[in-house]
Amino acid sequence: MLMPRRVKHRKQHHPKRTGAAKGGTSLNFGDFGIQAVESHYVTNRQIESARIAMTRHIKRGGKVWINIYPDRPLTKKPAETRMGSGKGSPEWWVANVKAGRIMFELSGVTEEVAREAMRRAMHKLPMKCRFVSREAGEF
Amino acid sequence: MSTEKITAEARTEFGKGAARRIRRADKIPAVIYGHGNDPVHVTLPGHATMMALKHGGANALLELSIDGKAQLALTKQIQIDPIKRHIEHVDFVAVTRGEKVTVDVPVIVVGDAAPETLVVTENSTLEVEAEATHIPEQFEVSVEGAEAGTQFTAGEITLPSGTTLLTDPETLVVNVTAALTAEQLDAELTEAEAEVGIEKDESDAEIAEAEAEGDSTEGDADSE
Repeated sequence: MLMPRRVKHRKQHHPKRTGAAKGGTSLNFGDFGIQAVESHYVTNRQIESARIAMTRHIKRGGKVWINIYPDRPLTKKPAETRMGSGKGSPEWWVANVKAGRIMFELSGVTEEVAREAMRRAMHKLPMKCRFVSREAGEF
Repeated sequence: MSTEKITAEARTEFGKGAARRIRRADKIPAVIYGHGNDPVHVTLPGHATMMALKHGGANALLELSIDGKAQLALTKQIQIDPIKRHIEHVDFVAVTRGEKVTVDVPVIVVGDAAPETLVVTENSTLEVEAEATHIPEQFEVSVEGAEAGTQFTAGEITLPSGTTLLTDPETLVVNVTAALTAEQLDAELTEAEAEVGIEKDESDAEIAEAEAEGDSTEGDADSE
């Protein structure tokens, strides 16, 4: 699963989930993509599940690009623990995805196959998403 | 390349407040610069501009009529709201007929490569120099029957007369590679699923088997 090999600080503050993406809002590599319509944290497990769902459907026919990286650690205190005694231990790695961001790109398949593969992948993601294609244009 | 005619109004008020008022009135703020002149700020009609840019492609050429004065303008940059997909602002470069301009032209792949291959577009645009009124809409790369290992570089793409390639001719544009084998893919996905903790129950295994059988029978039918 995707996670940083080494980080400067093990525990970080929670990043803001408001606002829209400043970049990465258009297709750069593939012909089709999944665009986030809402902002949300996406864990490395969700990213991997979405990739597997997509790859299982397209089989050997296409190529998948992942444009987000889970580089922010989130911590959790153990269950039934009294408050205090410092911050919990790192539990998840998340990507702070803002609305408008293209998270996955896909090429080498027909639009019909890409739509179905990406529909399956969207079910693994925590936010509302939409399918975008290079042919349909940006507006 | 046809030029769409659009009537523009000169803009006198600037800033986000003015720009938002313009957008609320279903219009688009825009700017025209180039030829060493001062930039001209204009307001364009929303729907007509959107349709002209949609049909004109990435390098749409528009004939703007600004307070009765005609100006040929080439689209330089379009700012789009990534969520609502509205055009927020357009940058134009002032051009004259016959003037040579540098533009990025999209590359599209046509045809079907040989079986068991994967076609990847490494560079989706090529930088070329062309007459402002004769900019190619796109370049086609035919991968019909291409075997794994075939590579199409920028220099191999046929350009229309009057168009000069500015991108390095050795730049890889389309790469045809061998697709993963079914075993490699399955091994990779099984390992990834184990790492994520996806467990397959019997019904999933049965569905996967049925799909695999369906594929093999289709393959047999094709081979026959």
